[in-house]
Amino acid sequence: MAEKSDVRRIAVTGVLSALSIALFLTPFGYIPTPLGVSLTVVHVPAIIGAVLEGPVVGIVIGGIFGATALVKAAIAPQGPIDLVFVNPLISVLPRLLIGLAAWVVYSAFRGKWTGVAAAMAGIAGSLTNSVFVLGALLIFRVIAPAVAGAIFVTNGLLEAALAAVLTFGVVAVWKGIESRTGKAKLAEEK
Amino acid sequence: MRGIEFFRNVSIGQYWPGTSYVHRLTPATKYLWLLVLMVSGIASSSYAGALVPLAVALAVGASAKVRPGFLLRGVKPLVPFVAFTAVLQAVFPWPGDSSARLLSLGPLAFTAGKARLVLMMFARTLSLMTLIGLFTSVTSESESVHGIEDLLAPFGRLGTSAARSAHRLALAVGIALRFVPIIVGELESIAKAQASRGADFGSGRGGPIAKARAYLPLFVPVTVRALERAELLAEAMEARGYTGEGRTRLASYPKQRGEGLARWASLAVIAASFILDYVFRSR
Repeated sequence: MAEKSDVRRIAVTGVLSALSIALFLTPFGYIPTPLGVSLTVVHVPAIIGAVLEGPVVGIVIGGIFGATALVKAAIAPQGPIDLVFVNPLISVLPRLLIGLAAWVVYSAFRGKWTGVAAAMAGIAGSLTNSVFVLGALLIFRVIAPAVAGAIFVTNGLLEAALAAVLTFGVVAVWKGIESRTGKAKLAEEK
Repeated sequence: MRGIEFFRNVSIGQYWPGTSYVHRLTPATKYLWLLVLMVSGIASSSYAGALVPLAVALAVGASAKVRPGFLLRGVKPLVPFVAFTAVLQAVFPWPGDSSARLLSLGPLAFTAGKARLVLMMFARTLSLMTLIGLFTSVTSESESVHGIEDLLAPFGRLGTSAARSAHRLALAVGIALRFVPIIVGELESIAKAQASRGADFGSGRGGPIAKARAYLPLFVPVTVRALERAELLAEAMEARGYTGEGRTRLASYPKQRGEGLARWASLAVIAASFILDYVFRSR
């Protein structure tokens, strides 16, 4: 495959950010469960960006997603918790850390087997999102510690598992494509 | 399949076209005011300080001929949320809360400390919502993308690599905004394709693991196709000689009279709001 260029990094950042925003604004980013809580995957593009293209790409995708969350919370809030996301310390800052954590874990495990490393990165990125968003909500005294704990158990852990599966799936497919054909599939469609 | 066509009707923010002094300010100046007022609203710990951005936003909005009702239209749906938060606060006790009880019902108590928290949250949220509403109503979408680049321009003086990073960040934001409709379309078409093969999205049945497995055939193709688009885009940009440096753009934002004054005034506003906050806090 072609050498990784900066232009390519910019394009991947932009397009994965668009995916994150699209998941965030449509029902596709949320998976309803029988428990009544929705699991979210909107942060997974930041993890995938970090795994495929490095920490800066992951951080920027997280930042763009966080900024969208902030604007949406201000313009069209849909729940009581949405309200406090107009605070960038809750909506943007924790999201910057997703890509960083995912990349650190991915590069730590990369030598062994790429698939395992990607799944671990998914877990790390997702847990970073849960812990820091809930942590920020606690610091600003939006929710009580008991509520934060309950959300972490019902959402945080399941979302981490989900992020692991999805990151593994995408990275496995993408790495496979890269080694087999050496170029993007759409290029052949004309 | 309900909700799949949902996005078509969503618009993020609304631009209120105009030719006022505020509209004609450069995007960088608008961002500066947005950031300054955001910081002062969040950092303040008194009601007065938290309401400074609201007051400034309404005043600036009036001078830009944006109706206050347009800025405040998001506030009405807030009321039930605030009530809900108040109830939540009443149900879950804060450890070490020794403030006076305003209302008590058995073991549940709504204390003065909790009331202050709820009111502060409401004041802060009201301020920030109005502020962001004002920003989007006087700044068009392309202006807000160019503004990021202009705002980061001072870092360019630190060296060419910093200037490049600023330009790239702005470009990534621009690409993201332009690709959102395409990706949404792709999500829709792949969801429909999988549904026609018997996939089940949106119903609450099945455990979380079954849900995740059902989700994989939607998420993976969409993400992989997005990455393929990114590759194509990068190739197309490189084929046209784009290197990330020395790019010029069609739109330029000449500084109008009073631009510098408007920028310095934003610093005066943040200083004033901190002083106000300090005075009201110490009472």
